[in-house]
Amino acid sequence: MRVERLAKATTAVQRQRPAEALSRVAIRLHLPTLVALAIIVVAWIALSRRFGDYVLPPPGRVLDGLRDLVVTGEVWEHVAASLYRISLGFGAAVAVSLLLGFLVARSPLLSVAVKDITTVLNSTSVFVWIVLALIWFGLTDRGPMFTTFMITIPIMLSNVIEGIENVDRRLLEVAKVYRFNELARFAHITIPSIVPYIVAGMKVGFALGLRVSVVAEIFGVTTGIGYMMNFNRDILRTDLVFAWAIVLIVVMLVTDKLVFESVSRWVQRWR
Amino acid sequence: MKGDKGGPYKLEVRGLSKRYQIPVIEALNLGIRPGEFVCLLGPNGCGKTTFLRILAGLEQPDTGEILIDGEAVDLAVSSQHRIGVVFQEPRLLPWRTALSNIVLCLAPLGIRGREARERALHYLSLVGLRGFEGYYPSRLSGGMQQRVSIARALAVEPDVLLMDEPFSALDPESRQILQDEVVKIWRATGKTIIFVTHSLEEATYIGTRIVLFSARPARIRGSWELDGSSDRVALREELGQLLAQEVRQQQALMAQT
Repeated sequence: MRVERLAKATTAVQRQRPAEALSRVAIRLHLPTLVALAIIVVAWIALSRRFGDYVLPPPGRVLDGLRDLVVTGEVWEHVAASLYRISLGFGAAVAVSLLLGFLVARSPLLSVAVKDITTVLNSTSVFVWIVLALIWFGLTDRGPMFTTFMITIPIMLSNVIEGIENVDRRLLEVAKVYRFNELARFAHITIPSIVPYIVAGMKVGFALGLRVSVVAEIFGVTTGIGYMMNFNRDILRTDLVFAWAIVLIVVMLVTDKLVFESVSRWVQRWR
Repeated sequence: MKGDKGGPYKLEVRGLSKRYQIPVIEALNLGIRPGEFVCLLGPNGCGKTTFLRILAGLEQPDTGEILIDGEAVDLAVSSQHRIGVVFQEPRLLPWRTALSNIVLCLAPLGIRGREARERALHYLSLVGLRGFEGYYPSRLSGGMQQRVSIARALAVEPDVLLMDEPFSALDPESRQILQDEVVKIWRATGKTIIFVTHSLEEATYIGTRIVLFSARPARIRGSWELDGSSDRVALREELGQLLAQEVRQQQALMAQT
């Protein structure tokens, strides 16, 4: 009896296996996503027929527009302009948070102040900085840079401080025993210890910076992804608004997957 | 029981006391001659590690003074007198290779570049790790990591080498091998070593002198010299009984708090 049952169970498992393998392949190829995408595209086409080109251009036209952007090279100019502003604003945020991190590591009293300031900055709306940037910097590049800086700095700061608080005290004792000076201790123990926190902060910070900076580009500048989206809305080219939106998504995915993942793999090659 | 033979001492501790909420070390006096391999033996939690941390400059004593070569020093700041420390764990920087872990600790002494590299390689070979200099700690076994840590401590060419139960986290085979290795290194370098342990077997196996600490607050219960002619079996028995007393007393203390 038991043997029979066991045999039955085994065949059931065997029968199940091809199905399991199939679903694993499906997951690896993101088949469910592709199915969802197909449904969305069909719905998109249907809805664009109903509402017309201005409200919802069909996918074909959006793709044509996207192809033109790439072929004419227009896309690179504006992507570069956006990335330049984000890199400077965000780079400054990273530099300032590391500098403040060094000071906080020296004096825990400072960390209270920095943490409180971080909380305030975190709850400040993007729009506050965009408006202030317009007043302070007028119609220049510095507006989006400043906005990116103000929005990403609390993220970088809180990550750096959390990292510093979690540095292995036992390694700091090694530094003390072997007479490292403060700078050597920061450079060789603190910084490498907080690298995972910095990379995590950079991933989130850069993504946020990209999203915020394109909004800031609506005002005051004449290049950049955000400017182009607003410009095309103005001239009633909704298809190009969609095309630029796709460009924005691609830039985001590419920087995250290619840049940050390889950076984080490289800095943690010793693991 | 044989007492101290008297100076001149490499390292001398006079009237050392330390308390946290309760007294941990009280009026402790100890003199260690150059080239001695002293094992500090005592029950767990008796203050041995605190004592070693004070010698390493990681804790400040409340009272008392520490003399190196007859000169009072503040170990937390002094850079003339070098102390090498091997902790219970290897405490290597995981993002640096075996070699560069050692090289990094030579920079504060003003030793850099080729000279630092050569010195680090020399001490890595001394601990039997020639060929592993390019390995990151995560690629080395626990015993090998502890060897790197020993090489690092030796590479600063310290006046005194402090070891805090360095083999307690290793498996018995590695522990045995490293004990022999440390004795070999001690013979080759003539270093003054202070080795904390709670294992009677380890202490009588590797030390030239055993200092027994009492239950908390740590005082010196006795000091025994060991040489080739010592009757280790008899000593082990005598020390075993004394240590057992202290362990019981320490456990009674722990039960109270």
